[in-house]
Amino acid sequence: MSPGVGRSVAQFAVVFRMLFKETTRELAIILGFTIVFPVGLLFFLNHLVAPDLRSQVLVGTIMLEMALLNINALAQSIGQDKQTREFDLWVSLPISPVVYVLGTAAVLLPFSIVSALITLAVAVGAFGLAIAWTTVPLLLLGLVLVWGSTMGIGYLIGVFGTSPRQISANAQIIGLILTLFTPVFYPVSALPALLQPVAYLWPLTWGAQTLVAILDGATRTALVGGIALAVYVTIWLVVIARGPRWREA
Amino acid sequence: MASGGPLRGTATADRPAEETVLRVDGLSKTYRSRRGDRTANAGIDLEVRAGEILALLGPNGAGKTTLLRQIAGQLLPSAGRITIGGIDIVRHPIPAKEILSVIPQECEPKANLTVEEHVRYFALLKGADPAGIRPYVDALLTRTGLAAERNRLVRELSGGLRRRVLIAVALAAPNLRLLLLDEPTTGVDPEARRAVWQLVDALRAERIAVLLTTHYIEEAEYLADRVAVIDHGRIVAEGSVDAIRQRLDHAGRLEVRGLDHLTPAGRALLDELERRYPVGFRAGNTERLRVADPFSPAASADLARLAALGIVASLGPVSLEDAYLALVGNGRSEEGG
Ligand SMILES: Nc1ncnc2c1ncn2[C@@H]1O[C@H](COP(=O)(O)OP(=O)(O)OP(=O)(O)O)[C@@H](O)[C@H]1O
Ligand SMILES: [Mg+2]
Repeated sequence: MSPGVGRSVAQFAVVFRMLFKETTRELAIILGFTIVFPVGLLFFLNHLVAPDLRSQVLVGTIMLEMALLNINALAQSIGQDKQTREFDLWVSLPISPVVYVLGTAAVLLPFSIVSALITLAVAVGAFGLAIAWTTVPLLLLGLVLVWGSTMGIGYLIGVFGTSPRQISANAQIIGLILTLFTPVFYPVSALPALLQPVAYLWPLTWGAQTLVAILDGATRTALVGGIALAVYVTIWLVVIARGPRWREA
Repeated sequence: MASGGPLRGTATADRPAEETVLRVDGLSKTYRSRRGDRTANAGIDLEVRAGEILALLGPNGAGKTTLLRQIAGQLLPSAGRITIGGIDIVRHPIPAKEILSVIPQECEPKANLTVEEHVRYFALLKGADPAGIRPYVDALLTRTGLAAERNRLVRELSGGLRRRVLIAVALAAPNLRLLLLDEPTTGVDPEARRAVWQLVDALRAERIAVLLTTHYIEEAEYLADRVAVIDHGRIVAEGSVDAIRQRLDHAGRLEVRGLDHLTPAGRALLDELERRYPVGFRAGNTERLRVADPFSPAASADLARLAALGIVASLGPVSLEDAYLALVGNGRSEEGG
């Protein structure tokens, strides 16, 4: 039995407010840094990347940033809650694990979004990158879908881990693999034939494809990518709602 | 929501039978791992009624926390059934959790939230009305003695106060019917411990059922309507404090102190008493003798003889602790005398 959707939304809002307050109090400085960090990327981009690829690489990198932050932060928060045994307190609440996970993951989402907006603005304003303002809302929507499509990865690393250190290490390794195998800096077709279908199992492959398609105005590709990301979000929601490791076996 | 089961236990003439809030039937838990399986609960049956406090005593590793974590829906049982207000916690966790609260044995509240924030947010998650949240939280903070600390961050609080924050969080549940407390006063100073006892005791009036574990026998004596003793995952005794005490084959104890500076006359007297009363235990310069009837004239006379020789001694009924130690096997060394 699950509480009504309305109740869950209200509970999500409470969890979000609580954790947002806590996180900003604890991590104020590092969060500020996180917001402006991607701007530094633009300097490299301007020198290392061919002009016609710059906006794609920029958008891809913003996406990776958001995905890695999401996976790491979610896994580490769960690790921390398990360490302090506050996880037990959460499990004893009349909430679905989805509420806990969404609330925990959503805390850093506003920072990622602000960071993406600032970086895009600087890219367009100061570096003259060709990004049409009209695509920005769609890019943000795509980024939120990417965020949702990586949520389950952070959750699974967190709940299956045994200690904060191990969880942190696992999140790093998985983040590294995701970075290497995500076609942000190259097209999927550049991968060995064998790896190409595998790459499409990563949500981030779809993420990169969707965001680049939004930039290019390739509506159909963007739509397909968006649907693929939405499927990921749905799968994760179902997996988390079933609560593997929410209750200990 | 009546559980519909038969009522047993504390229903007495002077106290009407209350409805059962918690019911545990044939509960077993085996932790499985590659390094071997470990059975922590084996065939546990329990009931706690509205307005009743049941204290669970047992040595380290007896299975107390395992039991509470299953009742709180944190750990899945290997076998058996748990219902809270008639709701099966395994099958319908969310409605069951609506009416229960727990203080885990080891749990650190969030370091970077204030006391007031903790209580407010958890109350909202437990279904408190957002419109009336302010007075609700204020009342809880006052009741738990935390009003003066309301704006302090948890990381600035002492260990005992943090424990109290968890108590406030547990009570921040408008539909509360079952409170699970896993060693609620461990690390709490004696005065604050008594304040916690009063707080828990007052829950009777709200007809909240309480299941608590403790290593302080005094806590159980003070608070509990009934005591259950668990050892190696099994309930080895259950009943009122008096009923558990009566399980011993003697009703009294004669405690003698200062064994290290007895005069020859004192030593002789004690030797004589030890022949009549079995030695319960001896530790340091104190020993406890088992007395069948502490109110008998003979026992009083023996106490007077000790006093006449200047030996510090006391005579009284057996305590719950005596019964507990006998039950969980530490008493076996007692049996040997
Ligand atoms: N997660 C776990 N995995 C494997 N074994 C466990 C686990 N948790 C507890 N145990 C074992 O189960 C038994 C009961 O432990 P439990 O924590 O329930 O005892 P307890 O009565 O609460 O003890 P204490 O008084 O020390 O808190 C112990 O032998 C313990 O080692
Ligand atoms: Mg314990």
